[in-house]
Amino acid sequence: METSRGDVGIAIRSAFLRTGTKQRFSLVVLVILSIILLFVEKIEAKPLNYLRAAIKDGIYRGSLIVSSPFKGFSYVAKKTKNHFNLYKDLEELKEKNIKLGNKINESKFLVVENKQLKKLIDEKEIFSTNVVSSRVMLDKKSPYLNSFVINSGTNKKIKNGMAALNEGNFIGRIVDVNFFSSRILLISDLNSKIPVIIEPNGYHAILSGRGKKNPIIEFLPENYQIKDGSVVYTSGIEGIFAPGLPIGKVLINEKGIGVTPFSDLSQVTFVNIILGDLN
Amino acid sequence: MAIHYKSIKGSFIDLVPLFILFFITFNGNSVLELKYFTININYILIYYWVLRKPDTMSYGYIFISGIITDVILGLPIGITSLALLFVAATAAYVRVVTVKVSLVADWISFIPALLVGNFIYFIVLYYSNNTVDILYMFQNSIFTFIFYPILWLPFTIISKLMKS
Repeated sequence: METSRGDVGIAIRSAFLRTGTKQRFSLVVLVILSIILLFVEKIEAKPLNYLRAAIKDGIYRGSLIVSSPFKGFSYVAKKTKNHFNLYKDLEELKEKNIKLGNKINESKFLVVENKQLKKLIDEKEIFSTNVVSSRVMLDKKSPYLNSFVINSGTNKKIKNGMAALNEGNFIGRIVDVNFFSSRILLISDLNSKIPVIIEPNGYHAILSGRGKKNPIIEFLPENYQIKDGSVVYTSGIEGIFAPGLPIGKVLINEKGIGVTPFSDLSQVTFVNIILGDLN
Repeated sequence: MAIHYKSIKGSFIDLVPLFILFFITFNGNSVLELKYFTININYILIYYWVLRKPDTMSYGYIFISGIITDVILGLPIGITSLALLFVAATAAYVRVVTVKVSLVADWISFIPALLVGNFIYFIVLYYSNNTVDILYMFQNSIFTFIFYPILWLPFTIISKLMKS
């Protein structure tokens, strides 16, 4: 039996235009609405921004409530696992404590020396910046965006582009701000490009996310010499972020020059957002 | 009394697909990320129910679910709705042109739905200045296709338990 073009047309019309017994909208109407929303997303207007921020805040809270049983379950599982590893952890900590005790005296001297050197080069100290602390509200593993949602927004004076730190280490930047929540784009995301400096040689480069755990170093100068374990900092070029925020350590493998972040991006609970210089 | 109980049970089972849809949407688990592969649960869910029992999966709910997914995952608002609606449209078209219900027929006709859905994702992400990992999308399409029969079975059981 042959299928005529007319039959195909009827089938397509039926699929797109017909509203069934319990279907209030036809597919074509909703498809057009989705396309309109995609265009509206690009429009920057105050009332629209307020509406978007309110809707996003509402959905984030809803998601927080719905995902709380899962979070509770994983929390209990983690605690149980930690409990079983208690003895092993204690032994490791004792060993670390001895090593750290030895290093304290050494670092006290380095702090004093560092302050003196900073005065010499007239650099602003990082502690003079205004920081706001926030909790990670949603950490959904999106295949297209590596990001967190935190529980502070314009209510804490957060703005797009601000740097996010975890335990003093740079982990990403603010890309979307609502009234009571904001989104942080992590350094591991495909869209993340951060100007960095690699010590001890002082090479300038770009840290690019790959959508995987470890970002990579790109745009290095010719004839570069980098060793495993070299430390990567924000360079502060273009004035986007403060210079000297630690990011991670270089890890060279057959795929290229990767960076292992100092903060485990899958274990972040609290973040500090640098609001700007107090001076 | 027995009739009343049956009616309540039937109504509850009718809502199961919607409940699953919104549960995974709000949890941000529409794309299941496992160690070596990723599966788009939403595509399978929507394709199956629009194909087999369209009255249980209203297009309006699919649209809202897409919007929520976009907000939670930080994507341009409308992209997931558009992709999911096209998957639903493919399923609706296949429903109109097929008569026989079988796993193999469903499975094979799922290929164009998958390709259309991921193609829309790719196009919109590309034009909204987002970097797109084509290899990831290809992987996702393959594993979602492979995973379809695994979900087909429980969905068919739920479908048989429904009152209508």
